[in-house]
Amino acid sequence: MASLSTTSLSFKAPSTRISQVLRKGSSFQSVTFGRFTSSTSKSLRLQISCAAKAETVQKVSDIVKEQLALTADTPLTAESKFTALGADSLDTVEIVMALEEKFNISVEESDAQNITTIQEAADLIEDLVQKKPAA
Amino acid sequence: MQRSLSMGLTSLLPLKLPSRMETHLWYIRPDEVKCASLLKHYSQLLSPTEKDRVLQMRGDELKKNALLARTLVRTTIARYQTNSEVDPRSLMFKKNKYGKPEVDWQNYNNCNNPPLHFNISHTDSLIACGVTVHVPVGIDVENKERKIKHDVLAFAERFYSADEVKFLSTILDPEVQRKEFIKLWTLKEAYVKALGKGFSAAPFNTFTIQSKVGTEGCYNLCKTSEMTISSLEKTEKCYEEWRFALLELADSHYGAICTEDDQAGGGAISIDIDTEESIYSVISSSHLSPSCRWSYEGDYPKNHPFRRR
Repeated sequence: MASLSTTSLSFKAPSTRISQVLRKGSSFQSVTFGRFTSSTSKSLRLQISCAAKAETVQKVSDIVKEQLALTADTPLTAESKFTALGADSLDTVEIVMALEEKFNISVEESDAQNITTIQEAADLIEDLVQKKPAA
Repeated sequence: MQRSLSMGLTSLLPLKLPSRMETHLWYIRPDEVKCASLLKHYSQLLSPTEKDRVLQMRGDELKKNALLARTLVRTTIARYQTNSEVDPRSLMFKKNKYGKPEVDWQNYNNCNNPPLHFNISHTDSLIACGVTVHVPVGIDVENKERKIKHDVLAFAERFYSADEVKFLSTILDPEVQRKEFIKLWTLKEAYVKALGKGFSAAPFNTFTIQSKVGTEGCYNLCKTSEMTISSLEKTEKCYEEWRFALLELADSHYGAICTEDDQAGGGAISIDIDTEESIYSVISSSHLSPSCRWSYEGDYPKNHPFRRR
């Protein structure tokens, strides 16, 4: 069908007034399709951690591939952005959960938002693993 | 300022603005768009940055969906400009302080432009765009059948509020539980997106959304207060200034809408479903490849937005 069909629906609520939305501090860099990520703390974090081992990157890639049901021939690099691979917000959260389980770490919500690529996930994981008290 | 339409662009049927009490939700199904030359022409509506982002998507399906999402946003917003015809290509977008996309009206004479707010959401099988006037809006859509890889309760315990976990744990049927989980996800996402301050402004476990007793599809936002007097007491305040609705779209998806509304005191939300077969074709028939031409034969339906020159 050579057309773009759309359907619209509208819902009405009783009358509204304009109201001020108070805005606070931090700045964010947005990902186009719905999820907001922070650029400020991301750049700080990258300054203090070293690049993750290739092994970690591979493990993260495997988890991402599984969560997003990627075919074997999908090109995947450490710099691959989750959104470019088709991850939506729910996928990203599931990926974070899987990473927590795999590496036995706990990811803060604010850190979880900063993960947009495989490399960033791997960096964060190694950071957290390093910080864990010795078993 | 009127931009001249070129390349055989046909006019998009204008839309009446939503009233302050309304949200309009437009959605498309990518699997219904198959014509390659149509997609090519849609790509010409996009800004260079948008085109780059589309190209960054890995795989043809993802590229197509990204393209359709931008096309939907541009053509929908352009249709609401009832004072003069607006070329969807000429629309500009910017981000608020927190990264939420909004329309940038700088190129237009500002007096007559309505303070439109929009928000988009997409899954692989459906793309939606919500539009309001004067108030912020957030929408989120999810496939009803979406499978969660983790245990639903474990997921909820990790991310949702305690009350929501309690609610989900009372549901015995795992299928129903999964569906309620998804519904809550869309509602919570819609709220965070309507708020427009990024995820950390409203971590999922700091607020509860629950359905309004005696209604279908209507929900309330309650926040768990951070200051508790004792561990046994919890102060909960329900925030009437955020309105929620949950809809089923195309029988296959849940769509959550959240808008800001200062009027405390509840009241029913009515949902009008206005199905319009809108064909956003921005090319004249001579540009269609033979495989697409057949669809332009015959009469157009009554509400056809496609006006030929």
